[in-house]
Amino acid sequence: MRRFLERHWYAYAMVLPVVVVIAVLVLYPLAQGVFFTFTNINEANIANPVLDRPASYEGVGFKNYLNVLSGDASYGAFWSTLVRTLIWTFGCVFFHYTIGLGLALLLNRQVKGRTLYRVLLILPWAVPAFISAFAWKYMFNAQYGIINQLLRAVGLPDPVWLGQSDWALFAVIVVNVWLGTPFMMVALLGGLQSIPGDLYEAAEVDGATPWQRFRHVTLPGLRSVSSTVVLLGIIWTFNMFPVIYLIAGPNPNTRILVTYAFERFFSGASRDYAVASTYGVLILSVLLVFATVYRRALRKQGEVW
Amino acid sequence: MAEVSYVKASRVFSGNPPVRAVDELSLDVADGEFLVLVGPSGSGKSTALRMLAGLEDVDEGAIQIGGKDVTNVPPKGRDIAMVFQSYALYPHMTVAENMGFALKLRGVAKTEIKAKVEEAAKMLDLTKYLERKPKALSGGQRQRVAMGRAIVREPSVFLMDEPLSNLDAKLRVETRANIAALQQRLGTTTIYVTHDQVEAMTMGHRVAVLKDGLLQQCDTPRALYDRPANAFVAGFIGSPAMNLKTVPITSEGAKLDGVTVPLSRSALDAAGGLDEVTFGIRPEALGIVPSGEEGMEMTVELVEELGADALVHGAVKIGDSSQRFVVRVDGRTPPTLGQHVKVAVRDHTEIHLFHPETGERLEA
Amino acid sequence: MTLDASSLQMVKPERRLKRSDRSPLASIGLHAALVVASLVAVFPVFWVLVTSFKPDARAVETSPQLFNESSLDNYTRILGGEKGAFLTWFGNSVLIALLTTVIAVFLSATTGYAASRFRFPGKRSLLMSFLVVQMFPFAVLIVPLYNILIALGLQGSSIGLVLVYCTTAVPFCTYMLKGYFDTIPTDIDEAGRVDGLSPFGVFWRLVMPLAKPGLAVTSFYAFLTAWGEVAFASAFLSAADESKTLAVGLQVFVQQNRTEWGHLAAASILVAIPAVIVFYLVQRFLVTGLSSGAVKG
Repeated sequence: MRRFLERHWYAYAMVLPVVVVIAVLVLYPLAQGVFFTFTNINEANIANPVLDRPASYEGVGFKNYLNVLSGDASYGAFWSTLVRTLIWTFGCVFFHYTIGLGLALLLNRQVKGRTLYRVLLILPWAVPAFISAFAWKYMFNAQYGIINQLLRAVGLPDPVWLGQSDWALFAVIVVNVWLGTPFMMVALLGGLQSIPGDLYEAAEVDGATPWQRFRHVTLPGLRSVSSTVVLLGIIWTFNMFPVIYLIAGPNPNTRILVTYAFERFFSGASRDYAVASTYGVLILSVLLVFATVYRRALRKQGEVW
Repeated sequence: MAEVSYVKASRVFSGNPPVRAVDELSLDVADGEFLVLVGPSGSGKSTALRMLAGLEDVDEGAIQIGGKDVTNVPPKGRDIAMVFQSYALYPHMTVAENMGFALKLRGVAKTEIKAKVEEAAKMLDLTKYLERKPKALSGGQRQRVAMGRAIVREPSVFLMDEPLSNLDAKLRVETRANIAALQQRLGTTTIYVTHDQVEAMTMGHRVAVLKDGLLQQCDTPRALYDRPANAFVAGFIGSPAMNLKTVPITSEGAKLDGVTVPLSRSALDAAGGLDEVTFGIRPEALGIVPSGEEGMEMTVELVEELGADALVHGAVKIGDSSQRFVVRVDGRTPPTLGQHVKVAVRDHTEIHLFHPETGERLEA
Repeated sequence: MTLDASSLQMVKPERRLKRSDRSPLASIGLHAALVVASLVAVFPVFWVLVTSFKPDARAVETSPQLFNESSLDNYTRILGGEKGAFLTWFGNSVLIALLTTVIAVFLSATTGYAASRFRFPGKRSLLMSFLVVQMFPFAVLIVPLYNILIALGLQGSSIGLVLVYCTTAVPFCTYMLKGYFDTIPTDIDEAGRVDGLSPFGVFWRLVMPLAKPGLAVTSFYAFLTAWGEVAFASAFLSAADESKTLAVGLQVFVQQNRTEWGHLAAASILVAIPAVIVFYLVQRFLVTGLSSGAVKG
């Protein structure tokens, strides 16, 4: 034991602060959150230290899970919300990745003004998300938004973007694609730059066409970056709350799991913490299952990650 | 100034089965000695050096520097300086800062650091480059900065881990001589790791040969060459490598392609009871003889002309199989490709016999 | 048959095609694509900038105009404090964002270094837990977090909020920095140890200065995390006006059914400026810094 500590104490000393912070501010709250899912806790029965009121919530077993998983509309129509969440997540990540990759490929070439293009293209990342949300909400406004002004000017129909229709989902996906593409682009650009140039030269000498070079050199070279950023992208998008919440508000047509948890959490005086926590636990479970499957699939293809 | 001892020191990497990277190494290095650790890759030579530096745990046994047990002392308490294969210069510091860093950490006065750095720079012809960053230096200059960083410290032991392997061939030969001369002048105990047996032979006062974590032999270059302790050392030391063939043995001697090479009585005694031995002979102890004389029949397959002499590679039949031999001949009259020549042992005192299984030298 | 000089000149010497040359058409296409993408990237910000000079009533007119009674009035009113204690919020945001940046970067640097250099039991599960932490819908933890912050006596204080932000920023930053540290040869560490540094000394005096690009990117990320966050800030800071951050304070412009777009735009620009400045300072490091983190994962 002494030997063990002697050998590792540097490492543990350097890791300790993070472990403590995460344990106190993540793991413990998580445990408590899981506990809440088995109760009927809400604003009315939670302990309130300000009013000096003790907690009076009770255990309800699996009732919250049963209610939510029944798909009942008064509990957020879990299954259809899950489907919408998946459309939202994969739609966003698909465009993040493809557009990001396309731009990264363009930026990776010798092109005049490359630095300027790069700065401009990363700009959406640098602007705080809540400001971007305001900006897009303003631009998507049905009457005075610039987007509809332009559509009207060229004689196209001008839908009510952020109303109670699937246009709203489309609109928030557009915004999130705009927001998330720079991150993908930068990560993939770095990945492209780390592919050794002589691989391309070897492929060219072997007679590969540009497409074949892309297919057999570029894409495999990006595999490890891609697998990481796509996984992160999916996790982040799945839980992306501010964009939808600030742009579309509590609109059932843009409702995804995490925004519904928020609605439940913040709505009115009742503040149903129990159901919100249940949603939280379900979100975590879905993502854990997904991440496990994802890693399995990668490992099967020989990627140790 | 200090002597260095490895006392049954082992480094064991956990695994299944555990890997004994260095296995019960016992070695004493005298004060001021230049000892070279040589071996193929994976032999544990670098690990042995890093154990001495304190960069690798000593799992069993002990290590002493200057008679003091340093087994559990961190690197900074060992009074050593090390030159890395990659040089490991600090990219964000100038040459002068790189060289003076260790002294700065020890709290040596600035003026003194400056004087010492300048002295070392003069010795290594680096004065012009003191204010440059490592990035702006050539490979040879970086190597000298790495040396300078070690010298400035005035440590009791220098450790060098393949310091020349990133230099081109010509510079390597030049630097080899410079390092040896420098060590001579400073008189600091030096442990030098290399995979290149020529470096080992030319630089070391003594050379320790390692294989699979085990010390094979530690002796002067001459002794290693003349009396290798086993077949591995025999094959490893010397270029081109010694011809090592398993041959049948009788009471008269070793049987090679119709020729019986007579062996000394002591050798035969040592091989008593064996019907085969590993027979070793260096290329220069063989020679091509006129066709009438007795010798092995060899078909020339390759001639490497080195200038002063030439290396003739060819096939000789031993028993049922055909074996390759290398013969060093005079450079001006090499045989031609495909020619059949007679090869004979020129010097019978230069025959080495090894046990066919253990590889141990057979001879009292 | 004779050839005169003029007919020879007809055959123009073919311009030698260099390997790096592109056909003009490809060049135009490349630039066109980049220009369009850049316009899309910049336009929303540009439009907010344009709007920020318009009075609220003009900002909602249904015909597009770059200038419409534009003036600096929105800015003077906001900075003058007519629309809430903007400068106080700004100060709070700066303080919280900078504290978050410093603490998060320091914590992720030590952790990332340990994960990059040392092999210690529990390392794998630590890194895995960082990935899992990213999966939480964090805001669902608000109630338990609230309780803990009260228990720690940090509820309503900036420090509590900073710590919460750190938990969201640290996992990703650690991954990124670990990846970056992995690209610094361990020989450097060992040379430092032989030269007389302790492991902490190696980290502080050698590895940190060499990891500047990685640190720049992590700082950027941590800064943005704290600078633009709304949910925690509204939950954990006391309701008093003087303790709000910008993200919370700006909600005053979004009143029920009537958004003060002109003022909101002006405030947005003011909020975006520090973020864009930080971005500009680190952007040249972004590609190397982020990729080495992401490549190694």
